[in-house]
Amino acid sequence: MKSDLTSPVLQVRGLGKRYRLFASPRDRLKALLGWADNSKPHWALHDVSFDLKRGQCLGVIGDNGAGKSTLLKLLAGTLQPSHGSVNRVGRVTAILELGAGFHPDFSGRDNLMFAGSFIGLGQGDMLRLADEIIAFSELGDSIDRAVKTYSSGMVVRLAFALVTAVQPEVLIIDEALAVGDQHFQKKCSQRIEAFRQNGCTILFCSHSLYHVRQLCDQVLWLDGGKMRELGDTESVLASYETHVRLQDSEQRPDASSSGSKPLQPEAGTIDVAKVLPGRRASLLNAKIIGLTNETKPDVLATLRGSDLVIRVQAVSPRDETPSIGVMLEQFQGVGITSVATHAEGTQLTLIDSQEGWSTWQTTLTFPDFSLHSGQYSLSFYLFDDRGLIVCDEWKDFIHFRWVSPSLTPGLVRLPHSWS
Amino acid sequence: MPRLRLQKRRFGPFPDKKINNTTTPTRLMNYCWQDWKALWHARTLVWTMTRRELASRYAGSAAGVMWAYLQPLLTIGAYFLVFDVVFAMRMGENAPTSRVGTYLVVGSLPWLAFCESLSRGAGSLVDAGGVLQKNALPPVLFVARSVLAGWVVFVPLMLALTIAYLPVSGLSWALLAIPLLLLLQGALALLLAHVLAILAAAVRDTLQILGFALSVGIFISPVLFPLSLFPQAWQWVLFANPMTALVLGYQSVLLQGAWPGLVVWAITAGWLLGLAVLLNFLIRRSRDELVDWL
Repeated sequence: MKSDLTSPVLQVRGLGKRYRLFASPRDRLKALLGWADNSKPHWALHDVSFDLKRGQCLGVIGDNGAGKSTLLKLLAGTLQPSHGSVNRVGRVTAILELGAGFHPDFSGRDNLMFAGSFIGLGQGDMLRLADEIIAFSELGDSIDRAVKTYSSGMVVRLAFALVTAVQPEVLIIDEALAVGDQHFQKKCSQRIEAFRQNGCTILFCSHSLYHVRQLCDQVLWLDGGKMRELGDTESVLASYETHVRLQDSEQRPDASSSGSKPLQPEAGTIDVAKVLPGRRASLLNAKIIGLTNETKPDVLATLRGSDLVIRVQAVSPRDETPSIGVMLEQFQGVGITSVATHAEGTQLTLIDSQEGWSTWQTTLTFPDFSLHSGQYSLSFYLFDDRGLIVCDEWKDFIHFRWVSPSLTPGLVRLPHSWS
Repeated sequence: MPRLRLQKRRFGPFPDKKINNTTTPTRLMNYCWQDWKALWHARTLVWTMTRRELASRYAGSAAGVMWAYLQPLLTIGAYFLVFDVVFAMRMGENAPTSRVGTYLVVGSLPWLAFCESLSRGAGSLVDAGGVLQKNALPPVLFVARSVLAGWVVFVPLMLALTIAYLPVSGLSWALLAIPLLLLLQGALALLLAHVLAILAAAVRDTLQILGFALSVGIFISPVLFPLSLFPQAWQWVLFANPMTALVLGYQSVLLQGAWPGLVVWAITAGWLLGLAVLLNFLIRRSRDELVDWL
């Protein structure tokens, strides 16, 4: 392993990938044999250059079809570039699609040994690592059963345990944090976090801006196969979020005038067993205290009083302590603020505990609500205790109206003084 | 158009590599050569894949890998029983041997092995699409695996057949030609399978056409009928089948105890060279995009 902290472990220069689109297989044959090339070139990726040093973590974001997956595959070496070069130092592990290539008729152990040879782990390495891999995958005695008897979660657990058995110099992750159940997801993100602590360089491609924010110190925004922006996480994400909002408002020109969005679903007592598929922690209930209790569906509830008080409840398996995030946005507009318990070191209050499940509650107060009049929307998120995994999310769950005593225009009344 | 240098590509997990598209290769037959180097470099992996391929073909059957050997053995056993024991058919004049079954077996076994290598090899890249898209491995490994899996079965059978035919061929120096012929057949199957696999990746119809060609090919060869039965003016057509020369070679050694004639070696060498040039061309034209087609 190179200990030099300043030399790049991943060097990408003018990388491009061109797909030739053929109208028919016959055209492809003609092009292959050099008779005629009737293809339409499609540049999935064009002129991408960057350097990554040891321990850096780069997030790759962009709309669908922006070339994220192509970039990752080129870096992993499964696709050949049409242009440019990639220089990599040391072991590169790609978590692209887990469990592909396992043979259903062979046992998990047998598949493990074979799949290991694909990623450069010889028989000797595998014999040494097998126990640790099997322990991490939590398959126990099932490891000697045929893979066709496994659940999809078991296959993915085994595959993840295998590819991350050896710490690489560069780790490439394509939306793969959603592996198995929550308990295993947590183990996965802990392992990735440990790699990062040890100086592993990570390339992470995700639609979850939340995860990108958590993990990455640099972000590359791809747009139509080209580099739109590359820089600090916050500045690139801010431009990207603006871009997404603009896109949304173009697609729904009349959205801002519609106020008929359904409000809260039936709030009240919820059967815990019904809300919980498997062992997921979930949000149970979220409501604003002191909201007018309008029953007419097309009239927006209005906030009374001067404080915004929100009560959120969640359930989780007993051994987990979740944390809650709340995001306040202008309806169909910009985000105003987001707060989360784990970020502020606040514990949720345990209000009930039965049959292996805990029910939690927290009350969030924005005293002296200082926004101007308008329509606002609240989104709720449930995280694990460190805020690494999103267990549940209720986007735009509560939509309410607020009439400010002040009549001047604007978005927020900042603390101020005249002199 | 700048071309990618093969030398330092792929092998995801192997240390320190460059993937680039800026170096133009200069060496003659560079693309074939690089693939063979990759094959040699990954020989342990290819061997693991080959054993795995054989095991997976017969996974779940009681006799397991034994079936790979039993199938051709039973086929040639049936030929021998029907033609030599039950009907006791005899060949005409100028044939290398008089007994029909004895004649058939010598040509059929290599032909069966050839068909098996080609049909499995030609589909190997298409079948491995999922794996190739997720692992940085040279595609040639998958072609080699399919051909080799057929070879592991064929070579011992052919050596056993050589021993069984000792009463016919007699103990002579000509028997040393058998390993050489086996080696040439292996190279021929690998090259042709690789060519077909690339074509099949571009146009799937290749696999259908191959199926037809293989079922007709046996008639355009001396496997069923001795060369002397074909009209003199049309005998050259038989050499459009790449196996014709090699089958003649096997027949010469096993039935007559004679070292194969120059024509056997010359024509086989011509086929190998022609296929290598074609393969080199196809790899050069397809390499950047091959995995996208799967």
